[in-house]
Amino acid sequence: MRNMSLAALAAAGTMALPVMASAETALRIFISSQHQPDIWREVLDRYQEAHPDVTVEIETGGNTSEAQAQYLNTLMSAEDSSLDVMILDVVRPAQYAAAGWTRPVEGVDMATYLPAYAEANTVGGDVVALPAFADAMFLYYRTDLLEKHGVAVPETWQELRAAAQKILAAEGDADLQGLSFQGKAIEGAVCTFLLPLWSLGGQVVEDGEFEMDDTTALASMELWKGFADDGTAKPNISEVATDDTRREFQAGDVVFAVNWSYAWAQAQGEESEVAGKVGVARLPAMEGGEQVSCLGGWEWGVSAFTEHPDEAEALVKYLSSPEVAKHMAVNGALLPAFPELYDDAEVLEAAPWFADAKEVVETARPRPVTPRYAEVSEVIRTTLNAVLAGVTTPEDGVTEIEARLRRVLR
Amino acid sequence: MATPRPSSRLRLYWLTDPSDRGLAVMLLTPLVLLVGLVVVYPVARLFRTSLYNHALTSGMPPEFVGFENFLLIAEDPVFWRVLGSTAIITAVTVPGALLMGLAMALMANLPFRRKWPVRLSLLIPWALPLAFAGLIFAWFFHSEYGVVNDLLRRFGLQPVIWFNSPFWSMAAVCLTIIWKTSSFMALILLAGLQTIPRSLYEAADVDGAGRWRQFREITLPLLRPAIVVALIFRTITALQTFDIPYTMTQGGPGDATATLAMYIHENTISFLDLGYGSALAVVMFLLSMLMTAAYLRMIRARG
Repeated sequence: MRNMSLAALAAAGTMALPVMASAETALRIFISSQHQPDIWREVLDRYQEAHPDVTVEIETGGNTSEAQAQYLNTLMSAEDSSLDVMILDVVRPAQYAAAGWTRPVEGVDMATYLPAYAEANTVGGDVVALPAFADAMFLYYRTDLLEKHGVAVPETWQELRAAAQKILAAEGDADLQGLSFQGKAIEGAVCTFLLPLWSLGGQVVEDGEFEMDDTTALASMELWKGFADDGTAKPNISEVATDDTRREFQAGDVVFAVNWSYAWAQAQGEESEVAGKVGVARLPAMEGGEQVSCLGGWEWGVSAFTEHPDEAEALVKYLSSPEVAKHMAVNGALLPAFPELYDDAEVLEAAPWFADAKEVVETARPRPVTPRYAEVSEVIRTTLNAVLAGVTTPEDGVTEIEARLRRVLR
Repeated sequence: MATPRPSSRLRLYWLTDPSDRGLAVMLLTPLVLLVGLVVVYPVARLFRTSLYNHALTSGMPPEFVGFENFLLIAEDPVFWRVLGSTAIITAVTVPGALLMGLAMALMANLPFRRKWPVRLSLLIPWALPLAFAGLIFAWFFHSEYGVVNDLLRRFGLQPVIWFNSPFWSMAAVCLTIIWKTSSFMALILLAGLQTIPRSLYEAADVDGAGRWRQFREITLPLLRPAIVVALIFRTITALQTFDIPYTMTQGGPGDATATLAMYIHENTISFLDLGYGSALAVVMFLLSMLMTAAYLRMIRARG
């Protein structure tokens, strides 16, 4: 009897051992569907080759920043452990750290990154996330159309209006849009609103306090509404989200477009109608103002509820390494968060305009930094959207933003 | 009058007999526990949270603030706007769905040789998930690629940029909700129609009453209980409208089609302000209770 049970125990032991030795850590990471998960898969495959004991599965979802945030917010407030690593819009690490949803990462020299990203990912001395890639908004334009009509790349929004009107009139194509920008009430619309305001030296929040300047805010509302009214942009610009701008530009229906860096790889890709005819420049300024851009970019955070904190942290450090950043720059046109990669020969061969992009990223302005950013963002984007749709006037829109933000930032 | 009715005598007997009291407690316990766990406890938690300043983004522990959240609601312009939109959706889609549902139920009640194709077509909109309906109709009403504008153009009419105007967006949302919810109304009303004895209509025929007279004098009065039940269900769900505007317009343009439920969702899920979101949910809970009470009173008043 005793022998029997011993034998059984031994058998169980020998069976359990090999299982233990080959026990794999299965990590699950969240990547947004618009951030080219197939190219992230390539760098993850490399990681798995180097670490045979780790498998990484990608979960994708939501093609807008808000859709992803809502999904992750639900998951994190339920303290769900199914995700180990998640990609976060640059505006969110501060909020996630305040909510205690990310695990601080130890032993990373943040000085190797562009300063804006070192700052965005450090909260109260803790490194709460690591940069996935940098980003800023650029002006995309059709080199063929500008050349054909003898138009220079505009440096002010007013020049852009004149250039677009000239090209639209000469082409006489009803489907052609002069300018495409983000007018739908999405995160990108916050940047849309802030660009002209910043250009004129305005701001919205300073040191967590509400500090909006009415004249620059009104100038911004009037500029965008003007583009919709005078036919430079299409009348339903209030329905246009980031990827609509990318798709319509790629289909050859847009002369000028405001978009992030990711649009480049696809505009030059096989499915593009405009491959080889795409130019990228700094965004125009307001007359008398400076040319500014909006700081974007995405970060890798380790979930506070992961069951594999060490493996997840190691993976995040790899994903935020210069090696991966270079692969993503060359193959996905994602701007690197490392300054030296902007001079890298292979990167510049894939995307020659990256040479000028570093300065744009370095001077790009961050959106208001406050733990209540989600509310600030909602107020700005729904109000801009309402103005563009003609629900409210630019003046009332500015009053509305002011009244509501004073409440939020009280 | 003095003799107790059988039911109350039964109740007294239960209370006095210890062995049966034990059985009663035993039989009722699972139900009480279940209701307590899934209804009473969450609702009590909701009321409690609504009295706290509890925002996950603040990084601070919840702080008791009494009725401060409710005072903030009272002076929140967005709350009043979303409440207005919710009221419009309720006022338009409840009667709209009732009329459509009644028409559908009357048609389905006609003596078809095969009943199942009619019943099935009644069921399909009801069986479709709300979010699907919202997404599908968002495409129908799309200003450039939508079938609605295509039809308008074919009939020589001016296409409409539906989601660019508060009026047309609200119209599109209401039409979709009516389409989606009419079939549920129709199902309840069809069940009601089938309880009306045929003999009443036959008698009315003999007496020479016309079709319209029969509808007014027989169908409508006898259908009243079913109509009230259908109205209660529809009104409560209309007050809680979320899925269709959320997927169709995301509340746009601006917040012209945002509902109270969407505002609660936004405050809790996007802003992580659990205190304020809970206070809004308490307001919605009270509104729903109020509406139900009003309906129940109406039924009782009519006997």
